[in-house]
Amino acid sequence: MPCNRGCGLSQTFAPPAAAAQPALDSCYQVETPEGIDLQLRPAGIVPRALAYTIDLLIRVLTLLLLFTLLAFLGRFGTGLGLILTFLITWWYMVLFEVLNQGRTPGKYWMGLSVVHDDGTPVGWSASLLRNLLRFVDILPFGYTLGLLSCLNHPAFKRLGDIAAGTLVVYRETTLFSRPPLPEAIPQRPPLPLHLDEQRALIAFAERHEQLSTARRQELATIVSPLFDDADPAASEQALYGIAHGLLGPALDTPS
Amino acid sequence: MRLTDATVVIRPRSQWEAMDLGIRLARRHAGLLMASWAIITLPLLGLLSALLWSYPSIAVLIFWLLKPAYERLPLYILSQALFGHTPSLSASLRALPGLLKPQLLASLTWRRLSMTRSFDLPVLQLEGLAGQARSQRLVVLGQKGTAGATWLTLVGVHVEMALLFGLFALLYLMLPMQVEIDWSWESLINPDSHQWLWLEHLSNLLYGLLLVIWGPVYAACGFTLYLNRRSELEAWDIELVLRRLRQRVTGSAYALLLLAGLLLSQWPAPALADDMPVQCQPEQLAADHPDAPRLQLQHLDSDSARYAIAGLLAEPPFEHTEQVTRWRLGDPQELDEERIKAWAERLKALFDWWERSSGLALVVESLLWGLCLGLLVWLAWRYRQWLQAFGSRLRLPRRSPAEVPPSQLFGLEVSPQSLPQDIPGAVLALWTEQPRAALSLLYRALLSHLLHERQLPLKASHTEGEVLALVQRQQHEPLSQFCQQLTTHWLQLAYGHRLPPADSCQALCAQWRQLFTTEPRP
Repeated sequence: MPCNRGCGLSQTFAPPAAAAQPALDSCYQVETPEGIDLQLRPAGIVPRALAYTIDLLIRVLTLLLLFTLLAFLGRFGTGLGLILTFLITWWYMVLFEVLNQGRTPGKYWMGLSVVHDDGTPVGWSASLLRNLLRFVDILPFGYTLGLLSCLNHPAFKRLGDIAAGTLVVYRETTLFSRPPLPEAIPQRPPLPLHLDEQRALIAFAERHEQLSTARRQELATIVSPLFDDADPAASEQALYGIAHGLLGPALDTPS
Repeated sequence: MRLTDATVVIRPRSQWEAMDLGIRLARRHAGLLMASWAIITLPLLGLLSALLWSYPSIAVLIFWLLKPAYERLPLYILSQALFGHTPSLSASLRALPGLLKPQLLASLTWRRLSMTRSFDLPVLQLEGLAGQARSQRLVVLGQKGTAGATWLTLVGVHVEMALLFGLFALLYLMLPMQVEIDWSWESLINPDSHQWLWLEHLSNLLYGLLLVIWGPVYAACGFTLYLNRRSELEAWDIELVLRRLRQRVTGSAYALLLLAGLLLSQWPAPALADDMPVQCQPEQLAADHPDAPRLQLQHLDSDSARYAIAGLLAEPPFEHTEQVTRWRLGDPQELDEERIKAWAERLKALFDWWERSSGLALVVESLLWGLCLGLLVWLAWRYRQWLQAFGSRLRLPRRSPAEVPPSQLFGLEVSPQSLPQDIPGAVLALWTEQPRAALSLLYRALLSHLLHERQLPLKASHTEGEVLALVQRQQHEPLSQFCQQLTTHWLQLAYGHRLPPADSCQALCAQWRQLFTTEPRP
């Protein structure tokens, strides 16, 4: 699923919306001092709740295991267990977030990470603040305030995130292998293509297996004026050829 | 449905992101969605509560079972709003009866507990499918959409519960203590009493209110999951770009060509693609290929350049090899049984040692306390200058040093040492010759008594009237009466030089005896 691409592009070239409001997206834009627009994708309530559940389970299981083992050590074991309970309750999130690129095991599993509002890696003070204020979010019972705040904030922040200036975003994933393109002879596009058009053509070829034949030909008919060809199947082949040509020989290797 | 009119950005998203988009969508239309939801559900809940007043749990169960019926209106509103035709509140309410008709019974009964309810609803309502067609469509859509929808429902159940418990905890915190106690006693003693039903109906209302918040969000998330799956299956994002490309081509270049064709008296318009080799011959391709040998006529041709580059890339700055020597664990099979036994014994010995050495806990405890103390000392040392500069301000507002009772009031000696043992006797003895001294002695004795026995906070700045007021505040009726009389006599004598009546001294002394002789003097 090449969802890590095209986030910004489709927004830049988004169709003019019928309403006065801009087209809705869950992206969050940050402009760096160099004038580069960064696209962050804040994560909403469902993946975050699942990540939290995973972390909670891990902590509970770890503590249970520790207490069973430490029970052999008598009084010393109890003391050690209490110290470890303190550490695991209050420092589990902070240590993982700061030392592991903003990802606790639960967040890692769900593909999330914590960053500052400007996209920089989360630091000690922000992480401590957001995790200490977790106890405000829990009030009055079971994360009521956190849920309401998370539902109402455009970047899905809970109160701790707002106070600490942090953001939970989807981690950018790198594609190690591209899906294979259908066989076609590489060719040059009949006219210079914009970047988003090039991407769309490559995506069309890459996703050909997910699309039905009728739909593929329907899509190819849209651009048939380019090829001066009434036959949809020929247009489709031509689009594949252009995609091969755009990717070039280096990337266009069958995987 | 025109994709170019969509008010959301169409791009391939993960399932989670699709749900996030649903939350954003519900938030954009929050007013309309929540108002329409509240207008439908809250009166219904009121009606159910009125009908089933004695059975609040059944009322809320029915209300909960009807949930799929409420979700149809938000879906209608969002599907209209997606392409920019947001309906008004009255229009959407008018559309409701039509929305409820198809397959309502199925939604409320055997499909009620489906985990993918929100994801399936658009197929029914927007595509209008039923029966076989519907299930086939769901199989196609559900190949990738089901997991997300299931997680959404699962998380949604917990969100509802968390919000309900949260609101309930809030309500419980707000209850006056007495109501709370009455409630728990009443429900313990007489569980069938209907006196507290209103509280349960109140918690039902809380559930209705939290659904106003969460219900539209759930429906919107299901809708965006469905949209995401459709746009993935039908490549909506690609269609959008291709349409713009077609517009660009037909709008500019093609129009120019047509114009040229018209101008050139209907020459066959040259097809755009004719200039380009649509089908390349294999040998031509080989010549075009970047790896094909090129620049053959000069000294450094492409092949030798490639070899030189490959050779450079194999050399140190690009190629880095390192030899690492380290210890590894030996062959695991060397661990035979005897070794394992020895290990077990050693472990056992270790545990026994732990058992016996309970002193270790003490050592660690003292170490931790030492660490704590050390930290405190370090903190004090670290901030010593700050403490020096600001430390004095940190103190609590101190009480003024314990107040020493004054030894003189309006020039009268009031310390107990200056008084005779038997005051009424001394006064009566003085009265005949020095009435002024006698009365002053009596008054001094009174002040001394107030100051040292009653611990009245008298100060040197008090006047006689203020002392009298302080005594009256003590609410000791005989004492304040006596005080009143004595003060009046003393004031008249001291400042007006008017002698009190002769028998008043007797009376005062008698009262003195009555008042104070019962209390032992130190």
